[in-house]
Amino acid sequence: MYVTVNHRRRLALLSATMTAAVTATMTVTVSLLVAACGGQPASQTRAEALVSTTASSPQAQARTQPRRKSSPLALGLLTKAAQAAMLTSYWGVEIVTNSGTDGSVSEFESEVWHVSGGQTITQTQAAGANVSAQPYQSEDLNGQSPEGVLGVTQTLVKLLETHYVVTYGGVAQLDSRPARVVEVWRADGSLAAQFWLDQATDLPLQRQVFTDSVSPKSAHVISLDAFNEVQFGVPSQMPAVVPAAAKAAAMATMAPPVLLALNGHGWVVKSTMPGGLTLFSGGRTVTKSGPVLDLAYSDGLFVVSVFEERGKLASTLAGWQKVKLGGQTVYAAEPDEGSLTWAGRGMVYTLIADAPAQTVVAAVGVLPHDESPGFWKRLSHGFARLAHLANPFG
Amino acid sequence: MSHLGDLLSALVDGEVSGADRDRVSAHLARCAECREEAAALRELKRELRSLAAEPLDHADAGTAMTQRLLAISAQAGAAGPIVPAHQRKHHIVPARIHGGSRGPERQRGPERQRGPERQRGPGGPGRTTQPKLSKRNRRFLVLGAMSIMVTLGTAAFSVGGGTDTAPGPRITPQYELYSEEHAIDTGEVPLTGPPAGSSTSPELEPAGQAQEP
Repeated sequence: MYVTVNHRRRLALLSATMTAAVTATMTVTVSLLVAACGGQPASQTRAEALVSTTASSPQAQARTQPRRKSSPLALGLLTKAAQAAMLTSYWGVEIVTNSGTDGSVSEFESEVWHVSGGQTITQTQAAGANVSAQPYQSEDLNGQSPEGVLGVTQTLVKLLETHYVVTYGGVAQLDSRPARVVEVWRADGSLAAQFWLDQATDLPLQRQVFTDSVSPKSAHVISLDAFNEVQFGVPSQMPAVVPAAAKAAAMATMAPPVLLALNGHGWVVKSTMPGGLTLFSGGRTVTKSGPVLDLAYSDGLFVVSVFEERGKLASTLAGWQKVKLGGQTVYAAEPDEGSLTWAGRGMVYTLIADAPAQTVVAAVGVLPHDESPGFWKRLSHGFARLAHLANPFG
Repeated sequence: MSHLGDLLSALVDGEVSGADRDRVSAHLARCAECREEAAALRELKRELRSLAAEPLDHADAGTAMTQRLLAISAQAGAAGPIVPAHQRKHHIVPARIHGGSRGPERQRGPERQRGPERQRGPGGPGRTTQPKLSKRNRRFLVLGAMSIMVTLGTAAFSVGGGTDTAPGPRITPQYELYSEEHAIDTGEVPLTGPPAGSSTSPELEPAGQAQEP
């Protein structure tokens, strides 16, 4: 059932994706030009923008033709895609490719089973010893916000509208299936992402995220999610999983204003994160070691989750590697290096990010860290500790 | 006026003896006035003696002070003079009391003094140089102090690092739980697998493994 993904396939996938993007853009461009010649109401600006897209990379086109307003059609398509991810029954193989903070590329392949309005089960192919190959059932049993739908949720679509300009890019073929292309643009006119939505079911089939690069030549794909081999209808066989309630305590969801009210009461709750990410969700989970605060930041495209817990880091952190990030010493989880943990001012922070490396580095930098004491401070601290130990009355 | 005349004062001075002493004693037994006068004279004599004794005591104190100074001088000679570095080679020391009254003499450095005045024993007459033993002791003292400082500094530096003083339990990030929560936020497939070997929960982690990561 699993598709073997190797480096050659990844390159082929990226190449095919780019080809599909260009083909889609050319198709729409030609259609609009024909429509314009035939007296159809297509604006000159729109046509010029799409023509320039065929002449150069999307980045170059975006620099010369910045858009200022999202298309209601495009936003509607993304909203329908978010709904379709919950209301449609399907099975498929999702391949997620990300660029890590250290420039490395991580790739995960998962099967996704989803029953309309019901449960979602995912099973990730083991990536070494670090990622479990056991089936996982979404904690969202009523299909309101299930995981594993290519990052298209209604909450993120609303954030996209707030932070980006969303436009409709036309129709393209993706794995012999017609798909509508929705493009996401930054305020400076650079292309941030492209979504391929199945024309028949509106289900998201692919998402590409591009770097925010000043130079079009250096712009490249930093994230590629593809939903392949999709079969619609209720899956005939679904793997047995452990009930979600037995795995973890349910998180008590808290609205951003409530979360922000905790700031200064022993918690560090920032309203924004570098990269234009805003606090949009969060909650509180009680674990065996104490309460954990979950803070989710996003701009609709990238998501950074920060988990805060009172205490200090354990003496041994198996599976985590000590790395230097933006001048700060942190521990990175091995699966994709997108998970980082460190201690600061009596708290342990764990950050999991689906975001560009520079955003992750900046986010790590704005949170507290235990700084390494200087020579004299450490010496003074040591003498004080020795004096405390030697004090018979202490 | 005393009935006894000069005999009374001679009695007080202890200069009456023989028949005169018996006669004076017989008179004093009968004459209260003479007894009072004799007592007054004795009291006066005690006062005069006490006054005369004070200069005598001062002289004794001065002698004692001199002896103490001599003793200190002898000890200083044994330990060597404390001389600033810039005066080490040509410094002036007082003439030794025991060595006579030759007055201040120019002190030569130990490496230069080869004449007969050089004394090897402590406190010997004419001794003006440092003995080798005191220099060695001073060196040992400096080395010992430095060793103690280095040892204490190393120990303090060793125990002064880390964040063991931070309150709260030791936390192992619950990667699987966090990943699930993050997946809910992103709408992506969660990476449910914990990092390799991190199945040890915080409350089960042996306290004896406390090492700062």
